[in-house]
Amino acid sequence: MRYFLRRILHAVFLLFGVSLLTFLFSALTPGNYFDEMRLNPQISQATVAALRAQYQLDRPLPVRYLHWLNAVAHGELGFSFAYNSPVGPLLWVRARNTLLLTITATLLAWLLALPLGVWSASRLGRAPDRVLSWTTATLLVIPDLVLALGLLILAVRTGWFPTGGLATVDFENMSPLHKLRDLASHLTLPVTALVLATLPMLVRHVRASVAEVLDAPFLRAAVGHGISQPKLLYGYALRAAANPLISLFGFSVGTLLSGSLLVEVVMSWPGLGPLLLEAILARDLYVVIGGVLLSMIFLVSGNLLADVLLYWADPRIRIAASAK
Amino acid sequence: MREERFFTRRCCITAGFFLACASFLPLPINGFPHPQQTNRKEELLALPGEIGRSGGRVVISLRAEPKTLNPLTATDLSSREVIGAMQADLVHINRATQLTEPALAKSWKISPDGLQYTLTLRRGLRFSDGHSLGADDVLFTFRVYLDESIHAPQRDLLIVAGKPITVRQVGAETLIFQFAKPYGVEERLFDGLTILPRHLLEKPYQEGRLAQIWTPSTPPNEWAGLGPFRLKEYVAGQKLVLERNPYYWKTDANGNRLPYLDELVFLFVPSADAQVLRFQSGETDIITRLGAENFSVLARGQRGYTMADAGPGLEYNFLFFNLNDLGDKSSSELTRKQKWFREVRFRQAISAAVDRDAIVRLVYQGRGSALWGPVTPGNRRWANASIPHSPRSLERARALLKEAGFSWSTARNAESALQDSDGKPVEFSILTSSSNADRTKMAALLQDDLKQLGMRVQVVPLEFRSLLDRVTQTKEYDACLLGLASFDTDPNSDINVWLSSGGTHLWNPSQSHPSTTWEAEIDRLMEQQLATAGYDQRKKLYDRVQEILAQNQPMIFLASPDILVGAKNSIANLHPAVLEPYVLWNVEQLYLRNGAENASR
Amino acid sequence: MTRPRKLTRWLVALVVLHCVVAGAGFFAPYDPVEQDRDHPYLPPMQVHLMDTQHHFHSRPFFYPLRLREGSFDQYQEDTAAAVPLRFFVHGADYPLLGFVPSRLHLFGADGARVYLLGSDAYGRDQLSRILFGGQVSLLAGLFGAGVTLFLGALIGMAAGYYGGWRDDLLMRTTELFLALPWLYLLFALRAFLPLTVSPLEAFLLVVVVIGMVGWARPARLVRGVVLSVKERDFVRAARGFGASDSYLMRRHILPETASVLLTQAAILVPQFVLAEMTLSFLGLGVPEPTSSWGNLLASLQPYSVLVSCWWMYLPAVAIVPFFLGYLGLASALQQRSGAYKIDEQSSWSPT
Repeated sequence: MRYFLRRILHAVFLLFGVSLLTFLFSALTPGNYFDEMRLNPQISQATVAALRAQYQLDRPLPVRYLHWLNAVAHGELGFSFAYNSPVGPLLWVRARNTLLLTITATLLAWLLALPLGVWSASRLGRAPDRVLSWTTATLLVIPDLVLALGLLILAVRTGWFPTGGLATVDFENMSPLHKLRDLASHLTLPVTALVLATLPMLVRHVRASVAEVLDAPFLRAAVGHGISQPKLLYGYALRAAANPLISLFGFSVGTLLSGSLLVEVVMSWPGLGPLLLEAILARDLYVVIGGVLLSMIFLVSGNLLADVLLYWADPRIRIAASAK
Repeated sequence: MREERFFTRRCCITAGFFLACASFLPLPINGFPHPQQTNRKEELLALPGEIGRSGGRVVISLRAEPKTLNPLTATDLSSREVIGAMQADLVHINRATQLTEPALAKSWKISPDGLQYTLTLRRGLRFSDGHSLGADDVLFTFRVYLDESIHAPQRDLLIVAGKPITVRQVGAETLIFQFAKPYGVEERLFDGLTILPRHLLEKPYQEGRLAQIWTPSTPPNEWAGLGPFRLKEYVAGQKLVLERNPYYWKTDANGNRLPYLDELVFLFVPSADAQVLRFQSGETDIITRLGAENFSVLARGQRGYTMADAGPGLEYNFLFFNLNDLGDKSSSELTRKQKWFREVRFRQAISAAVDRDAIVRLVYQGRGSALWGPVTPGNRRWANASIPHSPRSLERARALLKEAGFSWSTARNAESALQDSDGKPVEFSILTSSSNADRTKMAALLQDDLKQLGMRVQVVPLEFRSLLDRVTQTKEYDACLLGLASFDTDPNSDINVWLSSGGTHLWNPSQSHPSTTWEAEIDRLMEQQLATAGYDQRKKLYDRVQEILAQNQPMIFLASPDILVGAKNSIANLHPAVLEPYVLWNVEQLYLRNGAENASR
Repeated sequence: MTRPRKLTRWLVALVVLHCVVAGAGFFAPYDPVEQDRDHPYLPPMQVHLMDTQHHFHSRPFFYPLRLREGSFDQYQEDTAAAVPLRFFVHGADYPLLGFVPSRLHLFGADGARVYLLGSDAYGRDQLSRILFGGQVSLLAGLFGAGVTLFLGALIGMAAGYYGGWRDDLLMRTTELFLALPWLYLLFALRAFLPLTVSPLEAFLLVVVVIGMVGWARPARLVRGVVLSVKERDFVRAARGFGASDSYLMRRHILPETASVLLTQAAILVPQFVLAEMTLSFLGLGVPEPTSSWGNLLASLQPYSVLVSCWWMYLPAVAIVPFFLGYLGLASALQQRSGAYKIDEQSSWSPT
């Protein structure tokens, strides 16, 4: 229990620190947004006055920070100038699209990496392992930028896949089955790009950690007991090797929002990445802060998740934690 | 067209009476069936041209989501494009002929002294929600446009000689617009001034929230317009769907009510390249605002679609320098550089050194024209043919620079650097918009051209809004490469660029009084042509303005692109024009050929 | 003894590759910023030994390409004029190794320009741009890694050695930095920059910021090593003899971290090269007309280029041997150091 409390406290501290940094950098960015807002006739004076009051722009920085924290705690992340709407709903729609993409890609990548890595580790040094090593090495040295661009050309040349976006024009009018198919076809290329970008490193790590474990005495003992190969690999070796992999998984969860920026930009996937890129270039302040905050919350949660999973999965940590 | 009368008022009433009686008869009047029920009291406009068939949907992509559907606040391109298909004006400029024609006003008359415009509305017309259109809507519209608290962009257009125009009603359908001074633009003024529905907007206006309503997510029943299409649906981040306006007031030559299409869909596709991809794969049916390179790619494989080059457009691209009087606020660096920029021969030398042919060839792939003035070859009526089109000449440039007191040093690597009379090397930066690939390319070509004169130039791509901020507000920049596209051929459409008090007088905007004699002269000429009626007089004045611009080169004009569009072969009645909107200007007459009900997958 | 040999193999390969890039001026036939406006988007020229009349030439030659009639992007070989390739020619000036002026180039031609890898939108030779671009990108990677490792070593050492509240504080800061989205930070910082920033300054900024954001992971690793080394006998003995903290850190502990630092270097350099490429691709890195690999890939963005100019892909191919070399070096170093440490470093991308 104490372990959990400590980790949660730790995560909260991180969030504070990160929010402080974001707030500081946002407060220092050049440009006066409220003057610009005042000139924009679409935004009523009442809105401007309300936002001014909310953000206490004329007050010293610490006071502004507290007010900002207060607003954020109430779910008000500010106002977007470019889209002329509150930031929260805007971010939520885009984040949802990004999560759809990245969750699919992460699940797929892990589902592929585990068996591949384990299989490779079990045949260490022999032909299949070397082939896999070379393949992952090749994929690793290709920047994901080029991968995404290459897949785009594939789409254009063959016409098998849509070339961007989330859904075709008719989406609303399709039957549920068609909708699913349409979504799947739009997801294919970005997911492939992401999987190809993350799979090699995952496979390598799985392979490395399982290979390390395969040398352990207890496994040799298990072989001696006559336990079957699959059970050996997945039931025993993988579990023993799980520690670093769980941290890795936590990291994967942490980058669910921020890791797909390039792929989204290249494939015109309407996710958080392109929104934030646009917002940064347009100096749409509150969208940037909101997006940064959101992705950092994910990062911190990912770490927390990893810690929790580790505690649950690894008896050594449980013992160490209760011993403290 | 100064005076047109199709019907006298008495004739209207009698005809209306008979038509009203006839509508009660069980038999159709002329013996053949009408495909759509039309109210006989309506005075519809019959358009000449190809007869099409009803039905179908067309999908067109937009670079950005429209920020608003409110004509009072729409300043961005996307909003204006969408609003254009949903609204109508009193007098409209036919994009093909570039001349005016009657729209909601069936006729107009301009008084001999040019101070009174009498417009007669068509009778019996209705908004897209069925509510009838009357003179009170027009009065309300202009009241709202002229209201200072709303800050509508249309307000500036309606102030002539410092005084806003006034409107009054003198009869059921007749309105008189009163001007303080004669206005050279005449009835072209009314193009684009959409007529707003009083029955929906009066209440918000009185409550003071008129500028905030009609966002794209407005429920369709809270919106009404007079255009060929009305709002059906908006999906944030993806598309905006318009459906046929059943009360539209135009018919084809056979009397069938327009538009032919059932639906018009605007898809939001954020980048030019993504737009090309979608068009090529058949997801969109029309593509406009194409760059030359993408046009070539599409033109090479024309499967199921046709590409068209509509000829030179009205966009002009130019380089200008920071000639603002910044006084104390300017840094010593900028003051030093401004000494060079203010020297006429410096600017003339740069103009002589620019390789305009290379720009047309490399940036526009030949689909463009070199420019030496703001009036492009697409605007035949107003171009000054006597402006010299001097070819590139580095010797002339060097001679001009020498005259102005510049000299060349021999730095290391034997690269001679240009230096001013104080011995400081000539170095400056050119801002361009990071989202416009063509202008960034032009800037890179310029950089190399100027290198041959010994100038070291940096190209700084900046996001467009930040760029505008720097140029118009903080004025912290050296030089900038921008383009402007006039929305009309008339010189008045760009008046804020040439008037020294104008907000888009980019090199030194919003001056309280002109800072140079030639700017004062341009001010005088522009104001004079504004108050002059008659093309010949105005042309002479505007020619002189162009001459002054050519002599003093506040803007170094570079090139202008052609209008390039593409559309699926199934879409008929397409006549791309060089005025915006390039393809959708006759959207009510577009139709799908036989066997092409659904234009996209 | 296979491991040392593997290590040397990778090291030699990398050194050779870096020498080629360092000597870009010599290997590249032309100045990378020199425009040739008559030949935009030229496809790579073929070098022949046999001409159209089936005569064999001992000196390789090429046919210049001319625009096809009425077209702006279609070229054909002008078989009438065969231009021979010359070696060790005098061409454009360049500073060898940054300060020695030289004019010698490996190859070139008289009368026409030879574009072995094609040209870009302004007619600039792609081969030259790739070589010089490599200088920029690799330098960014190396310097960035240097800054990161320096900072990481410093902080990790301090945290591990002193322990206590200092350790806690530094490690919390590390986690904070690990949680920052570096890309966004970079963008925002770019907005702070004064308008007229020379290519050199932009490059330095990219390096410094990337370096400053990435120190967290090396710091943790160094701290781990320091923690374990701190309690080793020889360190205790030295402390017993009265060695000061700084002496201990410098003389005894730092060498132990060497292997971790080297391995990290081999992993970080390609990561930072990739970071510079991402930035330049998105328009925030090295500006025109200087080329960097990211810049060169950015010119692929327009759809027309993506579809018709396959030779603009070649910078990506150029990167591959470098990344391969670093990857091989990294794994060889890791194997050599014995333990294959699995850390949270999970992907190539810095995000």
